[in-house]
Amino acid sequence: MKPYQLLLALGLSLLIASPAFAHAIGGSDAQFVRNTVGADPFPFLYLGAKHMVTGYDHLLFLLGVIFFLYRLKDVLLYVTLFSLGHSTTLLLGVLFDFGISAHLVDMVIGLSVSYKAFENLGGFRKIGFELDNRIAVGGFGLVHGLGLATKLQDLGLNPDGLLPNLIAFNVGVEIGQLIALSLILVVMTFWRTTKSFGRLAIAANACLFLAGIVLAGEQLAGYFLSGAK
Amino acid sequence: MSEDPQTIAPVQLKVSGKTLALITGGGLVAGALIVLGAIMPAEFNTDPLGIGKLSGIARLWAPDEKKVDTNTAGGPLAREYDTPLRTDVIEIPLTDFLGGAKGSELEYKVAMKQGATLVYEWEAVGAKNPDDIGFDFHGHTTPEPGQQMTVASYKASRGVSQKGALTAPFDGIQGWQFSNFGDGAVVIRVKLTGFYDLVPAGKEGNLAGIVANVPAAQARPDFKPGQ
Repeated sequence: MKPYQLLLALGLSLLIASPAFAHAIGGSDAQFVRNTVGADPFPFLYLGAKHMVTGYDHLLFLLGVIFFLYRLKDVLLYVTLFSLGHSTTLLLGVLFDFGISAHLVDMVIGLSVSYKAFENLGGFRKIGFELDNRIAVGGFGLVHGLGLATKLQDLGLNPDGLLPNLIAFNVGVEIGQLIALSLILVVMTFWRTTKSFGRLAIAANACLFLAGIVLAGEQLAGYFLSGAK
Repeated sequence: MSEDPQTIAPVQLKVSGKTLALITGGGLVAGALIVLGAIMPAEFNTDPLGIGKLSGIARLWAPDEKKVDTNTAGGPLAREYDTPLRTDVIEIPLTDFLGGAKGSELEYKVAMKQGATLVYEWEAVGAKNPDDIGFDFHGHTTPEPGQQMTVASYKASRGVSQKGALTAPFDGIQGWQFSNFGDGAVVIRVKLTGFYDLVPAGKEGNLAGIVANVPAAQARPDFKPGQ
């Protein structure tokens, strides 16, 4: 990697990992969720979509997944797997009140970004470790859903109207993912047609790798150093 | 990659082992540096490499504010103070809302010891509508960087006048943030009587440099509308 690429990667990672974008449901949204009693699907739909569109860790992972997916069929397959994974853990996690530390979940989500980047770079083939991509993407989908579930639980959802609100949130997550994915796809498809793609593909994945490490490190530090769970 | 089964497995880059090692090793080292040197000092008040202190990033860290319940009073109803009683009239000029944050918004506070009382009355002279002025009556301690700040919120609302009394819940600064939402310039005339000290110009609580006991035209020497 050339020096300017390393600098680019560093700058981008700092930007991405900037805690100003810290990825939790916060402020007035948290207040709203806490105060909601009974089914209130549309606000939850919106919150789900918002969480996804502004959730850069989820988005970076998706970017890594579709980086080398040229055909819409493949994109659909992997995104469906990812959605199935995170819907499962989101719904079951909240319904059965199962969750682990949000910091640890977010750390694994960060590592999933690095995993995907390392794979795009051909790293796993090089070290002779081959895991079926579908399993990896589905598995990380489960983890991403667990992260969503943990954050929702932390807000203290009211049991009255829980299921409809939860389903609405989940549908919102899928809508948000579709919106974000469409944008990523448009940009990626355009970028692939340009010459710079060939030159910068390695740098881009190096950036992804670094961003994932920073995200994971930040969450690890948060797990040990912040009083909150 | 024209074969169907192969399209399931996405294309991967072919990079040399050396480049791969450079990317992953560099990524791990750079990532660790960012986390240890910047994120941990700024977010978690931990500075293992000392970079946070050196770069000043560590100063970003501040603990969560501690809020004080402002509806239940404690202490005796009759009190005595060592400090002399003082009375001030402060005239604060505010531009219309088009004057921006610099002209149409201002914070004015006085310093008070815990348990000290002041009696106040303020009115917005020149306001056309009863909801032209937004005000936030509050107080807080003035902690060193990194120390926890204790805050008390008394009333945040719209109106053109307010009168009452306040007993400070802690050592700190107490007062108002005024915002003019109207389309004409106003003067907020604040009358204070009690046991407090004025905050010197430029200090927290009187950053705008308001001079007390002079007419509004001279009360804010460092600011001329339209600047």
